Amino acid sequence: MSCLADKFDRLSATYPAQMRSSLVLPLLHLMQEEKGHLTESDAVFIADYLGVPAMQVKEALSWYTMLQRAPVGRHVIKVCRNISCSLMGAERLIDYLKQKLGIGEGETTPDGRFTLLLVECLASCGTAPAMQVNDSYHEELSEARIDAILEELS
Amino acid sequence: MIELKIDNKMVAANEGETVLQAALRHGIEIPHFCYHPCLSIAGNCRICLVKVGGRPKLMPSCNLAVAPNMEIETDTEEVAEARRAVMRFITLNHPGECGICDKAGECRLQDYHVRYGEPEPISIEPKSRKPKFYDLSPRILLDNERCILCGCCVRFTQEVSGSHQLGIVERGSHARVERLETGAFDDPYSDNVIGLCPVGALLSRDFLYRSRVWYLEPVRSVCTGCSRCCSVNVWRRNRHWHLRALGEELNRTAYRVTPFENPEINGPWICNKGYDLHRFMARQRVLQPMIAGRGASVEEALAEARRLLSESINPAALVSAHASNEELAAFQAALGPRLAVYSREDYRPAPGEAVEDGLLIRGVKNPNSYGVQALFGHRPYGVINGHDLLLVWGDNAEDTSFDGARVIRLASFGTQQEFTADVLIPVSTTFERSGSFSNFEGKVNRFDKVFDKPELVQHAGELFGRLA
Repeated sequence: MSCLADKFDRLSATYPAQMRSSLVLPLLHLMQEEKGHLTESDAVFIADYLGVPAMQVKEALSWYTMLQRAPVGRHVIKVCRNISCSLMGAERLIDYLKQKLGIGEGETTPDGRFTLLLVECLASCGTAPAMQVNDSYHEELSEARIDAILEELS
Repeated sequence: MIELKIDNKMVAANEGETVLQAALRHGIEIPHFCYHPCLSIAGNCRICLVKVGGRPKLMPSCNLAVAPNMEIETDTEEVAEARRAVMRFITLNHPGECGICDKAGECRLQDYHVRYGEPEPISIEPKSRKPKFYDLSPRILLDNERCILCGCCVRFTQEVSGSHQLGIVERGSHARVERLETGAFDDPYSDNVIGLCPVGALLSRDFLYRSRVWYLEPVRSVCTGCSRCCSVNVWRRNRHWHLRALGEELNRTAYRVTPFENPEINGPWICNKGYDLHRFMARQRVLQPMIAGRGASVEEALAEARRLLSESINPAALVSAHASNEELAAFQAALGPRLAVYSREDYRPAPGEAVEDGLLIRGVKNPNSYGVQALFGHRPYGVINGHDLLLVWGDNAEDTSFDGARVIRLASFGTQQEFTADVLIPVSTTFERSGSFSNFEGKVNRFDKVFDKPELVQHAGELFGRLA
C-alpha cells in the first residue's frame, strides 16, 4: 500500500484541506487503477485515510458502474443498453458479443482478456449504438466494427 | 410572521418555515414520508406536492419556504392526481404483505394508500426482489423489499446519533439500505430508526410478531435508565382486547416501549436502554413479604418493622434514587425527622454500557438522584456511621456491607432467597404507580400507572405513614 499512499498524498495535496470528501471519487479511481477492482475494505481504507465515514465511500463505490466491485479481465467492455442504443440494435450486438466471447453479462473470458458489462446511457445517443472498452469510446457499432475492435486488443 | 393562504384559509407562518410545516401546524394535512421535523429536508418522496399560485408545476411543500401572499392549494384534482401517481410509483415494488407486517395499523404507506392511492396497481411487471431479512443488528431486522428509500434512517445516523453506520447503496430499483459488511449497527440510539421508518422495513426483533399494534395502547411513562428521565410510551394490551382464556399474563405485559415526544427533555428520541425498559421491568420480582427469611403477611411484616424502628437507638434510611418525588415527600413527612438519611444509587453503569454522551445518555443511571439530593443532599452511606438499624429502600443493596445493623428492606426486584433482611417488604415498580421524577436538570417528568400492582406488593409512598 505504500506506493498507493504516496499517490494518495500527492493527489490530496492539490485539494483544499477542508474538502476531504471531494477526494472520495479520485481516490477510488486511483485505487482501481492499482488493484483492478475494489472491495468494501478498500472503501474503509480510503475512508480512514480521508477521515470521512466509511459508509459514504461505500455508497459512492456502489453507485458508479465505472467502479468495479468484482474481479474483471484486462479489457472491460461496457455496452450501452438504454433506449437510443437499443433502437439502433444494441440488443442484437450484445447477443453477438456474448456469442463471440462465449460469456454472459458480467462474466469474464477464461483467459482473463475480456469482461462484458451492460451499462446505462453512455451519453452517446447521437452515434448509437455505443460501447466503451476500458477508457475509449466506440460508436456507430456493427458486427464488423466489433470484430475489428476486438482484433486490435491483446 | 408571514401570512399566506392555504386552501383559501389565511395562515400565519414563521419566517423560514416551510409550507409543509405551516400546514401541519394549522391542522391541514399534507402527506409526507421523507420529511421529519428533526432531520434535514430530503425532498425525495414527492408525496407532499402542492399547487402554488402562479407557478406552472406542482412543488414539494417540504422544501418550499413560506412567502408573503403565497397561495397554496392541497385539495385540487391536479394535486390528487399527482398523489395517486406518486403512490403508484412508491408502491410499484412494495410487497403487499400488510397481513404479516408488524407496521400495519401504524404505517403511513398503508394510511396514504387508502386515502390517496388507488386500489388496483396498473403495473404488470413483477416486483423487484431484494434481501428480505437483512440482518442489520441483533436488535433490528431490515426488509429491503418494503423499504421506500425515504432515507430517514440514514439521515438519523448522520445527523442525530452521528454514527454514520447506515447508507443507501446501489441505485435505481436496486437501491437499498445497508450497513458496512464488516461493521455493526451498534449505535446506542439505533432503535429510533424503527419508529422513524414510515413503512415496515425496519423491524424490532424484540417486538417481531408479538402483537398487532391495534390491540395495544400507549401509557405515558418515564424511562428509569438514567437521570435524563426521557418520556416514553409503554404499550399494554388495550382493555377491549384483554385476553380471558389464553395467556392471562399477556394482559399484564408491556409489549414495547417507544419514545413519547417531549421537547423539554428528550425530543422525539430515546436510547436503546429506553427501548429495553419493559425488559428491565420484567425481571424477577419479590412478591412476598418476609420476616428473617420466612414468609409473612403484610401486616406482620409492618408490625415487625415498626417494632424494630421503635427499639432502635440510632436508625438510618438509605433512600432509593428510583423513588418518585411523591414517595420522597411521604417519606420525609412520616420518617424523615427520626432517621439519619443517606442517598443511594440503586444502579451503576453496567459493563459495556454507554456511560455519557452529548445527546441523551447521562452518567448517573437512576432517574431521581436529583430529587433525592434536592431533599437530603448528596450523602452516600459509609459503614463507619454506626447505625443499629437501616431502612434500605431500593434495589441492588446486597453489595453494601451493613456492618451488623438490623435491616428493613423495601425492594422490587430479586429472587426471594437472596434477601437476608430482618424484614422484607416488596414495593411497586415505576410501571405500577404514577408519580414524577426530577431529572438531572431539575425538570420534573411525570409517569402514569401502566399496570395494577400485585396483591402483596406495597406502594412505598403509602407505607411510611404506617411505619411511623
